[in-house]
Amino acid sequence: MSTEMLLELERVSFAYPARVSRRAFALSEVSLRLAAGEMVGVIGPNSSGKTTLIRLLTRVLEPATGEIRLEGVPVGRLARTDLARRVGVVPQSAPAECPFNVGELVLMGRYPHGPGRYFESRQDHAAACTAMEATGVLELADLPLDHLSGGERQRAFIARALAQEPRLLVLDEPTAHLDLRYQVEVASLLRRLNRERGLAILLVSHDLNLAGEVCDRLMLLAEGRAVATGPPEAVLEESLLSSVFGCDVVVDKVEPGRRPLVRLSWRA
Amino acid sequence: MSPAKRLALVLAVLTAALLVAAAAALFVGSAAISPRAVLNALAGRASPESVERVVTLSIRLPRIVVAVLAGGALAVAGVAFQALTRNPLAEPSVLGVTSGAAFGVVIGQSVGLGWTFLEAAGLTAFAFAGALLAAGLVYLIAAIGRELSIQTLLLAGVIVGIFFSAAITVIISLLDLNRLGGVIHWLLGNLAPIPPRALGVFALCAAVGFWLVARRARELNLMALGEETALLLGVGAERLKLTIFVGAALLTASVVAFAGPIGFVGLIVPHALRMLLGSDNRLLVPASLVSGGIFLLLADTLARNVVAPAELSVGVITSLCGAPFFVYLLRTRYRANL
Amino acid sequence: MVALPALALALLLATPAAAFTTHDMLGREVTLAAPPARIVSLVPSVTEILYALKAEDMLVGVTDFCDFPAEARRKPSVGGMVAPSLEAVAALRPDLIVATTEGTREDTFTQLTRLGIPVYLVAVHRVAEVKALIVGLGGLTGRQAAAAAIVAQLEQRIGAVTRAVGALERPRVLYVLWPEPLIVPGRDTIVTELIQLAGGHSLTANDPDSWPRYSLEAAVAGRPEVILLANHGAGTGAIAEEKWRRLSDLPAVKAGRLRSINGDLLHRYGPRVADGLEQLARAIHPEAFR
Repeated sequence: MSTEMLLELERVSFAYPARVSRRAFALSEVSLRLAAGEMVGVIGPNSSGKTTLIRLLTRVLEPATGEIRLEGVPVGRLARTDLARRVGVVPQSAPAECPFNVGELVLMGRYPHGPGRYFESRQDHAAACTAMEATGVLELADLPLDHLSGGERQRAFIARALAQEPRLLVLDEPTAHLDLRYQVEVASLLRRLNRERGLAILLVSHDLNLAGEVCDRLMLLAEGRAVATGPPEAVLEESLLSSVFGCDVVVDKVEPGRRPLVRLSWRA
Repeated sequence: MSPAKRLALVLAVLTAALLVAAAAALFVGSAAISPRAVLNALAGRASPESVERVVTLSIRLPRIVVAVLAGGALAVAGVAFQALTRNPLAEPSVLGVTSGAAFGVVIGQSVGLGWTFLEAAGLTAFAFAGALLAAGLVYLIAAIGRELSIQTLLLAGVIVGIFFSAAITVIISLLDLNRLGGVIHWLLGNLAPIPPRALGVFALCAAVGFWLVARRARELNLMALGEETALLLGVGAERLKLTIFVGAALLTASVVAFAGPIGFVGLIVPHALRMLLGSDNRLLVPASLVSGGIFLLLADTLARNVVAPAELSVGVITSLCGAPFFVYLLRTRYRANL
Repeated sequence: MVALPALALALLLATPAAAFTTHDMLGREVTLAAPPARIVSLVPSVTEILYALKAEDMLVGVTDFCDFPAEARRKPSVGGMVAPSLEAVAALRPDLIVATTEGTREDTFTQLTRLGIPVYLVAVHRVAEVKALIVGLGGLTGRQAAAAAIVAQLEQRIGAVTRAVGALERPRVLYVLWPEPLIVPGRDTIVTELIQLAGGHSLTANDPDSWPRYSLEAAVAGRPEVILLANHGAGTGAIAEEKWRRLSDLPAVKAGRLRSINGDLLHRYGPRVADGLEQLARAIHPEAFR
């Protein structure tokens, strides 16, 4: 196991301008460590700071305090294309009208590897094919994005991120709005990418069971603070979850070797 | 076929079509000149005082060059704006630059710069000044700090455009009757031959604008995924927006300054090409340059011949012909939702 | 007076031997290699004068609006007044073009000059300038005698009219060039002077613009005693007569002095100006011409 951390957030704080958000701090003194090959999930209620975390990590926003380091280098000192070669992000939603087909979309992931080129190189095309194969969308390469199912589209976007050949894959709510079967599809794809390729993954999700099932460690965010970090068994704890989410939650302790299962208590 | 080969093929076909169109345009006109006489004039074999020499070299040829340049510039500006704003209805005039330039020219014409040679250059300068003013206003309104908001850009462009159009209306209503005909004639959009030096300046401005947009064609593709995603892929989104804005504004301003306000080209040509070639801006931008030239050249040739010796405004032709053509394309090829 | 050293220089350089030099109505020097033999007229009034001078053989091109005399319509047309076709003009191989600063586009003038064709500019706001134009065109076409005769006849007819109405009281006249928008003649137009000569006083005579736009209120504020509605071209009806009849409080309408007249005779500045003047005088002082 490598001792050098792939990603480190050290006491990071961020505040949106006062007129945008009522809360003083979107993120407050959050620390996180992610080693190469790890899969970490970030969970918490809406506006707990999950998406802000991603934006800070990818330099869309600058932290007010604290530091974010990627392979030991502060993220602020990396050129954007540098950052894009190491971190691939699958955003929460695709834009409404994306006029491209799958192949063209995935090729876009090659941009950081040759921003000066007008057309992609042969190596770029090879890398894109590899990425599409890994997510099983190679046969769909010529189809327009609008013609794909929800699951296929998500896999295409994951392929695009993979084409960047990143060390770290970041996904923002990858299974939101997906049919159950596509949720399973994407989850097992992620697990495969992590286990078979050693790809480090940071997963933001409001689906507690999905996160608990596939991730090695979880971080629970509430109102901008990290209230718990650790293996799923430790973080998915009844009283903790109930207080953070503000409703009654039941966690089934199933047999050892299997992950905890979170249930909602539907009281009248 | 590799994309580079595809681009080369598309450009070759389009350039051939352009040459055919240019040849056709050279051979038709109000003055009845035989094709052989035209060719003689081109080859330099016509006598210096002959009609064919004057008409071919001083009237038709410069006007053809203006039409090709203006059409190409407008089409490229259209592609740029549509990619920048992710809005298929974006058109060069959407930025208010056309109205600003028109305002500048109307001011210049109503002031009446006097019947001198300088006047032609003066009007162009007025047009550029008006265009710069409009573009600057739009930028100031839309930029928050150093960031350019695309939504606000569209709105700002519309507002600035409306403002200058209103200003033009005010001036027209106060204009002396004798000047009115000339101003309205200019506002309809008419191409006229311009002298070689002015043509050179026009070509230079268009080339700079084209280069600013074309070298960023790949980044424009990425912007279709959304600004934030483009950032995540390493695109310097702010710099890109500014570059495209400046490039498109320069293209539009130079067309209005040298050729007059001509609409529709920047809307129709990119759309038609998109239906035939797909949405890759790396193909669209160079293809638009040539296709826009063909389109406006054909429109202008029609405009100056259909009711000869009188002439229709080319803006009339682009509007009348462009709309049905677009409907036809929509119905036959583009079956998905727009 | 507009001095154009650059233009003159260019023309001088273009023609090796300046055999024929004259000055147009703006004072510009116009130089040709020889007296003009192929003239394109971009001004309907000039076309009329050339026919009156019997110089129509020198006329090779006219505009679509050159409709008097009727034979003028048979001449080749180069298009409209505002934007004539450059090609059509060039194809006629003219050695002189006559254009006006009120009507021809400046850009057209620039384009024609660039093609190396001399342009003779005219601008007429007064009766005296009409005479000067006829004389000038006579000089251009070598028809000085005919020009002098036309001018003499013009002066004679004008004199007859002024004598007939000289002693009569001057009514207040409102001349309507166009009803909507309401356009009236200002200080610097022939019509104003003609109204004066015809024994009337134009209410809008003091406006500094040539053809200002007035509101209906402003136009009737002076309580016109005679209202003249110009129609444009023989055979077209009186314009908006009904609208004016409804203003029954106006002295002009009460007295029935609401008349329509042929605007072509007054807005063009050729020999028919005398016809126009006589028409005006009859409308303003019908009693003097029984």
